[in-house]
Amino acid sequence: MANDEAQGVEGDLLVILRHGPHGSSWLREGLDAALVAAAFGRRVTLLFMGEGVTALMPAQQSGPLGQKGTSPTLEMLEMYDIDTLLVEAEALARFGLRAEGLMLSARAVEAKELSVLAATHSLVLTF
Amino acid sequence: MLLHVLNRSPATSEVYRQALAAMGPDDRLLLIEDGVQGAVGTLVARFAGLEGRLYAQEEDLVARGLAPLCAPSVVRVDVEGFVLLTEEAQRTVSWF
Amino acid sequence: MRYAILLMGAPYSSQAAHSALRFARAVAERGHRLEGVFFYHDGVHNAARLAAPPQDEPHLVDGWTALAADHGVPLQVCIAAALRRGLLDEREAARHGKQGHSVESPFELTGLGQLVDLGLRCDRLVTFGP
Repeated sequence: MANDEAQGVEGDLLVILRHGPHGSSWLREGLDAALVAAAFGRRVTLLFMGEGVTALMPAQQSGPLGQKGTSPTLEMLEMYDIDTLLVEAEALARFGLRAEGLMLSARAVEAKELSVLAATHSLVLTF
Repeated sequence: MLLHVLNRSPATSEVYRQALAAMGPDDRLLLIEDGVQGAVGTLVARFAGLEGRLYAQEEDLVARGLAPLCAPSVVRVDVEGFVLLTEEAQRTVSWF
Repeated sequence: MRYAILLMGAPYSSQAAHSALRFARAVAERGHRLEGVFFYHDGVHNAARLAAPPQDEPHLVDGWTALAADHGVPLQVCIAAALRRGLLDEREAARHGKQGHSVESPFELTGLGQLVDLGLRCDRLVTFGP
C-alpha cells in the first residue's frame, strides 16, 4: 500500500463502491469508471463501503451463475496503477471480514476518515 | 464544505447512514425525492447533529403532501435553492 | 460556473431523470454553463427514441432534446451501458446487424472516458441516481 494515513490520501477521483458483485451492475460500472480514469492517467482512489466490501471476497467466481462477475476486472486494478484501495472498517466487521483476508490489498478506514476523503479528491462518484 | 444529496427515505433504506458517515463537520445534507420523508415525524431524529445543515427540497415535500409535517429545523429550498447549494459547496456527493 | 450532470436512472421508473432535468433547467436559468449531461447505468434509457409516455405526463426524452436545443448542452450516453440495454444508434445497429435503431441525435453514444473528462474539467458535477 502506497499510503499509511487516509488523511494523506488525495487524488483526482474518488470512486465509492457501495454494491457487491452479481446482484446488480453497479459494481462493474463503478469499476469501469475507475479503470477508465486511471487509463487516462488520473490518480484514482477506490473506497468500498457497506455491501461494497464483499466485492473483495477472495473466493468469488463467475462459474455457478454464468454471469461474468467482477474478479477479472478487480485483477486489472493493479495493471492500471490503482493501488489505493480503502474499505470501510465498520462494514468489514458487519460482514465478519478482515482487511487481511480480502482478494486485494486494502486498508480499513474508520468513519471519521471518510469525510476527509471526499474533501481531498477533485471528483467523487458513487456507485 | 461539501453538499451531500440523499434521495432515499431513512424509513426504507440504510443509505442515509452512509451519507452521515461520509459527512464532515461543516458539510450540508439535502434531502430530495423520497429522501424528504427524513424531514418529518421522528425520522428527522436520525439526522440529529445536523442543525442548520439539513435541507429539504420544497417541491418534493409539497408533491408528497409532507410540507405541513416538515420539522422546523429543516431548511426548505426550491430547485433554484438546490442549485445555489451546489454553488456554495466545493463539490456535491450523491447517495441513492 | 461550468456544470455537469451524471444521470443513472431511467425515465419513469424512478424520479432521478425528472429531478435531473428540473435541476438542469434551473442550472441554465441561473446563468451557468451546463457543459454536458452524461447518461450511465439505467440513465441510458433517457435516450430512447421510441419513448411514448401519455400526453399528460412529462416526456423526458423530449425534455432532454429541448434542453440540448435551447442551451447547446451535449447529451452523452455511455456506449457500453447503452448497448447492453438495447440502446443503439444507426451506426451501432448496422454494426451489430440489428433492424432499426433506438437512439438518435442529439443523444450521442460515447466512451466512459468522456464522463471522467467532463467531471474533472467542470466546476460542479451533480449525480442523480435511482
